[in-house]
Amino acid sequence: MEEYLPWWLSAGALSAITVGFWLVLKRPLGVSGSWARVVMWKSDRAVREAEAPFRDNPALFKDALMEATIEEFGRERVMALLQKKHGIATDDQLEAAARARQGRFASRTPWTAHLTFLVMLAAGGLLSTAVRQDFQLHFDMGEVYTSLFGGGMGTFITLFFGGILVGFGTQMGGGCTSGHALSGVSRLAPASIVATLTFFGTAILVSFAAHFLGGMQ
Amino acid sequence: MSGSDSLREHLYYGFFGLAMGMVLAFTGLTEYGEMHSLFILQNNRLMLVFGATIGLSMLLFLLFTRGHPHARKAFTKGTIPGSILFGIGWALTGACPSVAPVQLGEGKIAAAATLIGILVGVWAYRRGTAGKFQFDTGVCGEE
Repeated sequence: MEEYLPWWLSAGALSAITVGFWLVLKRPLGVSGSWARVVMWKSDRAVREAEAPFRDNPALFKDALMEATIEEFGRERVMALLQKKHGIATDDQLEAAARARQGRFASRTPWTAHLTFLVMLAAGGLLSTAVRQDFQLHFDMGEVYTSLFGGGMGTFITLFFGGILVGFGTQMGGGCTSGHALSGVSRLAPASIVATLTFFGTAILVSFAAHFLGGMQ
Repeated sequence: MSGSDSLREHLYYGFFGLAMGMVLAFTGLTEYGEMHSLFILQNNRLMLVFGATIGLSMLLFLLFTRGHPHARKAFTKGTIPGSILFGIGWALTGACPSVAPVQLGEGKIAAAATLIGILVGVWAYRRGTAGKFQFDTGVCGEE
């Protein structure tokens, strides 16, 4: 049996990462979003080209957006909505709110930063085995996995199809453990609370089913 | 975005990736046996980890981010069905999207199958639903 960190140290470190990420990067931590950006890396170019006229002047983009919104819905309705939501009554207040909303980085994170994140996750795994001095190659997922789903091809096939569900499901559900459970629930986002209860509950049901079908006690 | 901005952003993402990878590994979240025992409600340590992480994050968010606008994920038609699919996949692989790369780094070769599956799943959703459904907004990290 391996030695793990005590629960309070794990929780302290994980919450420091969750909140630290938000403080430094001004957006919630979310790993499934990183996967989406890496998989759809080609669309980055299209977005960059569309952004090009606004790149040097982000304020221009906000003006263009607001102009289009006002044109679509009418000035009075837009100002009434802003007044109701944010207490904004004048153009000066509108501008101040736009400035406050702007994150630390004016334009969208390049997909290569998300790739860096995923690669460094793997580096973190490697480094932790180096610290424990127990790196070795495993072709299985451990005893429990083998007894539930079979070793060899059984392991690989189950992991592959399970992986598809993880990829597809997190995109459809709008997030995963990091985005919904850690960043979302802790900021009391209703959609994240629903999503977390759903995926945790489902994982519990499926695991109990696998546990008893697999003949484990 | 200027070059130094981009470099700093890569460094930040790299730092958080490395830190998170190490914490996940040292917490045992990359071990299927640990995850399975959590899912059959026999792992008090991991239950405490999840509960305390959410509770502590809530406290830290309250302390440090008061007055900042918080973008919260929107509830969509995909929230529940998508989360059910993810829950099944999570139980079958023991891996959420952050865990698969960490497992591979630890030398668990089989995690490559999970990783390829995730790539296929993300690609299938993004390709298959492009322009068809409107509920693919709000994925983490995209705000």
